[in-house]
Amino acid sequence: MKVKQSEYLKEIKPVLIRLRDRLLMEFPYASLLAQDSTSKNYSVSKTNVGIQMDQTLTGRGFVAKVYDGKSYAEYSFNQISEELIDDIVSAVKERLLPMSNQLPEGVKKSCYAMLADEPMEFSDGTEYELDPQEYGDEQIIAQLTKYSEAGRAYSDQVLDCRVFSSYQKCSKLFLSKNRDMEQNILWTCGGLVVMATRGEEIKDCYKGFSVLGGMEVLEKIGKHIGEVAQSALDLLKSEPMIPGEYDCICAPDVTGMIAHEAFGHGVEMDMFVKDRALARQYVGKQVASEMVSMHDGAAAASEVASYFFDDEGVPAHDTLVIDHGILKAGISDAQSAMHLFAEPTGNGRRENYQRKAYTRMTNTYFEAGNDRVEDMIASIQYGFLLENASSGMEDPKNWGIQCMVSVAREIRDGKLTGKVFSPIVLTGYVPDLLKSISMVSDTSELCGSGFCGKGYKEWVKVSDGGPYIKAKIRLG
Amino acid sequence: MLDRILSALGKCGIEDYHIVVKDEQSAELFFIKKELDMQRLKKVQTADVSVYHVFEEGDNRFRGVASVQVQDSLTQPEMEKLFADAYYAAGFVKNKYYDLYEGTKVGMVQAKDPFGEKTLNEMVQGFAQALFAEDVYKEVFINSAEIFASRLTVHIRNSRGVDVSYNRSRVQGEFVVQCTSGQDVETYQDFSYNGWNLDAIREKARNTIELTRARARATTAPAAGEYRLILSGGYVNEFMSYYVNRASSFAIYQKYSTFSVGCDVQGGEVSKDRVNMTMKSNVPFSDEGIPMKNRELVKDGKLMMIHGGNRFAQYLGIAPTGNFDGYKVEAGNVSIEQMKEQPYLEVVNFSDFQMDWFTGHFGGEIRLAFLYDGKTVTPVTGGSVNGNIFEAQKSLVFSKEMQVEKDFEGPKAVAMDGVSVAGI
Repeated sequence: MKVKQSEYLKEIKPVLIRLRDRLLMEFPYASLLAQDSTSKNYSVSKTNVGIQMDQTLTGRGFVAKVYDGKSYAEYSFNQISEELIDDIVSAVKERLLPMSNQLPEGVKKSCYAMLADEPMEFSDGTEYELDPQEYGDEQIIAQLTKYSEAGRAYSDQVLDCRVFSSYQKCSKLFLSKNRDMEQNILWTCGGLVVMATRGEEIKDCYKGFSVLGGMEVLEKIGKHIGEVAQSALDLLKSEPMIPGEYDCICAPDVTGMIAHEAFGHGVEMDMFVKDRALARQYVGKQVASEMVSMHDGAAAASEVASYFFDDEGVPAHDTLVIDHGILKAGISDAQSAMHLFAEPTGNGRRENYQRKAYTRMTNTYFEAGNDRVEDMIASIQYGFLLENASSGMEDPKNWGIQCMVSVAREIRDGKLTGKVFSPIVLTGYVPDLLKSISMVSDTSELCGSGFCGKGYKEWVKVSDGGPYIKAKIRLG
Repeated sequence: MLDRILSALGKCGIEDYHIVVKDEQSAELFFIKKELDMQRLKKVQTADVSVYHVFEEGDNRFRGVASVQVQDSLTQPEMEKLFADAYYAAGFVKNKYYDLYEGTKVGMVQAKDPFGEKTLNEMVQGFAQALFAEDVYKEVFINSAEIFASRLTVHIRNSRGVDVSYNRSRVQGEFVVQCTSGQDVETYQDFSYNGWNLDAIREKARNTIELTRARARATTAPAAGEYRLILSGGYVNEFMSYYVNRASSFAIYQKYSTFSVGCDVQGGEVSKDRVNMTMKSNVPFSDEGIPMKNRELVKDGKLMMIHGGNRFAQYLGIAPTGNFDGYKVEAGNVSIEQMKEQPYLEVVNFSDFQMDWFTGHFGGEIRLAFLYDGKTVTPVTGGSVNGNIFEAQKSLVFSKEMQVEKDFEGPKAVAMDGVSVAGI
């Protein structure tokens, strides 16, 4: 079934059209983005059950973007009616625009052309199987409770098993002089964290799940409880890593983190505009092994970061970022693309209507290859299978890697020994790692259970992943 | 909006509730190098409402809660349906029973605005001018900056007498400094000030410029091995957050932490400094409407109290302190100069420093560190710190010099022995 149009946006649209028209009387370009979104978080652990609307993702609100012939300004608000149109227009003219009247010495306003505004009309929604609102809070909590109890029953050493699920049902309407676009998106994700204890020390293992759809994700969670609980117990016996460079097999979640953190942030083209990304100098050059092809795009996969158009009214793309090792293109929001004389790729995204749009990743992944995972493990004399990516941080300027991984399973003479090392910090230089990729599995997985920040803020939903890859990586 | 919410709750027959209404306005400037790239204004009102449902199953009594966000655009019937649905959902939330926090009507706590009569526009422009006043070099400069000035009014009300309000003004943001002399490198820095602290933003800009210059000279990673590690700046805050997290009623009740009042938070074998900490709040009331005051958390390494909100405090049979948004760590007895008399690796910039309070693991990739081998100080970059606080806390040494960071006051530096570093 398809996600339905928001009744509220349908009702308020005539008022928004009048506001747009009023702004167009004052400015050569004006657009409005309207959002009506509901997002709920559910969680169950041993002593805590929670049902709450997500404060960041839930809300009805609007962004007016205007062009004064030189640069752009935005006004975010969440109260609108026919009577308030004059107030909004006057806030834009009398309070927003004068903000640039007293700039620091030596600082001037940037100068942009007017955004392209070719006519576009659109209305569509994504597909789902189980609508979270129809499935109901009772069933969701009951299912999560069952999983949490199963995780806790796995072993006496399991301290707790927290199971959670979240969804966002979001309708957006984009109006400019020539565009009238509407989309209705539903994504759902979930995850489980098993905590195991030995004295003061607590080890935890996490696995996430996601779907562009509804509560059908719950079935996926239920199939992995034993595996995650066992990994948490394995971590209790883990040893610290002996720093060094090793042959490694990265599981899809670790591959995804490398694609996203190590490379993806570096091809966000607002970073090109600021001269903050080394990648700009490498377009057309080899940055990875010939086995590596990488995509990003809301239209590149059917996952939690899929949509039909971005927050600036640009249709979604599937951008081939790396083609057989050669860096082909970056991803961009509309303003950055204009600055760089490039076509926007539909990656202009806002945390919500209250925030600015930046160039953001969407679904980011490496393409699958031809190798079998068993053969990849068998090819390693001494090394590690890396699983359970926990966090990462970008360094687009210098292509440094920082990724944290919870589980490194030892491989000796082509076989897993059962020995586990943890925690692990992956470091190194991105092209060195990507060029060292020598095997790529024939299976691929994407997951989007988390959010991506721009620095330490501006959280948006993303997915990442890919195949198992074999590479030489510095571990610490 | 509050009256409409109360009316809808009444219509639904909901007796227990908690409402937080926030009115926020902000002015935002976004710079790329010496150009203003975007200017924004925001004016929003949001309301979060928690509805409670008390129920029993056999001998067990529960208090369930479900939280919803209320939109001003909701019609009265839509609002009533929202609350009725939430009340129904709360009936499946089997949390052990607790009493709601009982408070009194205090009304608006009108503290003097630290920004005085300044408009949001004047606030954001003032900080922009202060920041760019330090941007005077050719080879090292502000690459980009984002500055947000905001005023927030918070009104908290619950069904057990809490009715409090307060205002908060703040300027926060981030900037990136780039150095093109030597290697082309950059340093990210964030800031948050609750007052007209132009000297602080200027000092932060100057320090970041100097750090970035140093990073441009750093070419090699430290050799792999164990080091006497010095953490400074905001990393001291992140490192010490381990004790704050482990001392929370949330963690202790759920047995995620073994801390108890009177316990030695650093374990038994401490050879150097003992930890002293105080929990602090920047606002007069917690999110539950609990009046906030500074409270001693750790004295000479001993835990003095368990902190946290109403529910878990009741479960533990202690008084709720409210949720704090800041803390202070007391200074040590040695100066940074004395701290640096012996060999050390001082990491001043990580790509992302992490302190995992569950496992005690801390670390991150080194963007800039200074390595002193007993003879010379060399800037280094690359490699990673991989330590564990269970070991490190035996040998902590805090500097005499203090810093005031976002929601944190504490020593400018902390040293610890034998921390593993993966390098070349």
